[in-house]
Amino acid sequence: MNRGEVIVGVVIFLFGAITSLLSLKMPIGTFRMGGPGLFPLCLGILLMILSGAFILKTCFQDRNKQPKKATSILASESPLPLILFLGAMVLSTLFFNTLGYPLVSFLLMLSLLKILGMKRWKLNVLISAMTSAGSYLLFVQWLNIPMPKGWIGL
Amino acid sequence: MFESFQHLINGFGIAGTIQNLAYCLIGCIVGTLIGVLPGIGPIAGIALLIPATFGLNPTSAIIMLAGIYYGAMYGGSTTSILLNVPGETASVITCIDGYRMAQKGRAGPALAIVAVGSFIAGTIGIFGLVFLAPPLAEAALAFGPPEYFSLMVFGFIVLSNVTGKSLLKSLMMAVIGLIIGTIGIDPVSGDARFTFDSAPLLGGIEFVAVAIGLFGIGEVLVNVNQPSELLDQKVFMPRLRELYPSIQDLRKSIWAILRGTVSGFGIGLVPGPSPVIATYASYMIERKFSKHPEEFGQGAIEGVAGPESANNSACQAAFIPLFVLGIPFAPPTAILLGALLIHGVSPGPLMISQHAGLFWGVLASMYVGNFMLLVLNLPFVPLFANILRIPKRILLPLVILFCMTGMYTVNNSVFDIWMMLLFGAMGFLMRKWAYEAAPLLLALVLGPKLEVAFRQSLMISHGDFGIFTRRPVSMVFLLATALFLVIPLVGILIKARKKGGKA
Repeated sequence: MNRGEVIVGVVIFLFGAITSLLSLKMPIGTFRMGGPGLFPLCLGILLMILSGAFILKTCFQDRNKQPKKATSILASESPLPLILFLGAMVLSTLFFNTLGYPLVSFLLMLSLLKILGMKRWKLNVLISAMTSAGSYLLFVQWLNIPMPKGWIGL
Repeated sequence: MFESFQHLINGFGIAGTIQNLAYCLIGCIVGTLIGVLPGIGPIAGIALLIPATFGLNPTSAIIMLAGIYYGAMYGGSTTSILLNVPGETASVITCIDGYRMAQKGRAGPALAIVAVGSFIAGTIGIFGLVFLAPPLAEAALAFGPPEYFSLMVFGFIVLSNVTGKSLLKSLMMAVIGLIIGTIGIDPVSGDARFTFDSAPLLGGIEFVAVAIGLFGIGEVLVNVNQPSELLDQKVFMPRLRELYPSIQDLRKSIWAILRGTVSGFGIGLVPGPSPVIATYASYMIERKFSKHPEEFGQGAIEGVAGPESANNSACQAAFIPLFVLGIPFAPPTAILLGALLIHGVSPGPLMISQHAGLFWGVLASMYVGNFMLLVLNLPFVPLFANILRIPKRILLPLVILFCMTGMYTVNNSVFDIWMMLLFGAMGFLMRKWAYEAAPLLLALVLGPKLEVAFRQSLMISHGDFGIFTRRPVSMVFLLATALFLVIPLVGILIKARKKGGKA
């Protein structure tokens, strides 16, 4: 039995259960005149049935088969690059309006390139600056899409 | 029929003027560039450029805007193939095999076959438009809420069958997508659902955020999670003659293109998000017809040729309800309707007689536009394929930057970027646990329409579920759905009996 698969199945089952519970707080109506909660309730129940079937199927898989190696979420030795990468994106989004698009895009590129192992600082800064300037020209100047100006005011 | 042919020739005369050719070219170029940028799809592209058409006559204006529409479709395919980021809804299925082809160094043939397939589909589709538009438009009116509901259920089951290895997993993803689609305002009663008093959630979850998150961001995170030495691996770069499809590729693709054209055109006539459904249906058909179905999902060129041809064909067919009935059923055609009204043209049954020049001119320009896209894009295939020469250490951050920027441009909202990141994390986990994203995306698009069709059907029948089986077209779709569910189960049972027999 693949424990990881079962856990994912349980998470999905819980998602269906929560959907159903939240739907019951809305007017359900009748099938003749359905309320806003009717369709989500049906979907929540359906998801619970499907995930329940999936859990049962996974639990009672053919025992003659070699047990599957548990899928590891992390393929690399250290989760640090992934965590830092996600962290950089989250921080950029947090400060998107405050710092403004040109500065955020520059800092984002700088940090992501560093996280992925670009060791030459000068090249890193150059690529980040060019990319940030290029995207600013494309989106703000050419396509006239309003972007947050932030501190720089561009 | 002869009269229609004559009108078409007149239409080519109108579309072939220097002025209209120039506008068509501008539309195709702008559309392709816009389609390549994630987040900005054909809708935004057409909407951004409507003001630029105010000084033009209606025919030229619509020719340019229509050029943007199918140019953006082609551009969306480019990012799907090169970066696994679907440019718009109908490009999602292209990500599956197109991106795998690019990873194997076959981005060139994938991009080229999209251009060739779209051109062939456009050429055949134009004849379909000319000769079949009036009778087929009437047949489309026969579709009511029960038929739409059954068709969409059929689409979900088919898609869940053809993507991924586990039907159950795909179905779960489809239902999750349907649930996500209920967030926002109830389309029938207008009540807020699952918004938790959050104003941004009133508009629902933006499709683009989910698509870019699941496919684009998810793919980037999978790459970041690889051992660092893999980031230095160079993509296999083919020689010049391998940048274009080989004779074998063309032989494999031609039947996929023809089948995609026919199925796409038929499905495109059904009011609704037909280009999306057409691409999924074509993928299913090609997988069934293929002698090597195991290649699908690993870079089968038929998996790109068929759906892209179906997409182009369905986009053309979608103009029929717009022009002949005055009813747009796809968001891009809704924007085009707005443009027509701005220019004083009311689409509808009288349009062909009152604005014959515009109608036939625009139809002819579609063919011209397809030819232009072929001529414009084939030489650029090596340029696009060379994007993959950029080292992953630089390419991945570039993808993130463009995704975040494109995402913000949709609604000028940071909330959408948050959603994109959330679904990006979800996409990463789904890839790790072998859950398919395509069913979730299709369900998100079709979910609101499915619900409306479901509730309207039951209102009509006063709560009687028999309405879905009493109507012949609906019954056909439901029977087909049941077959798609039962046949795999029967296969499993037969295999289990044979195993038991041997033991």
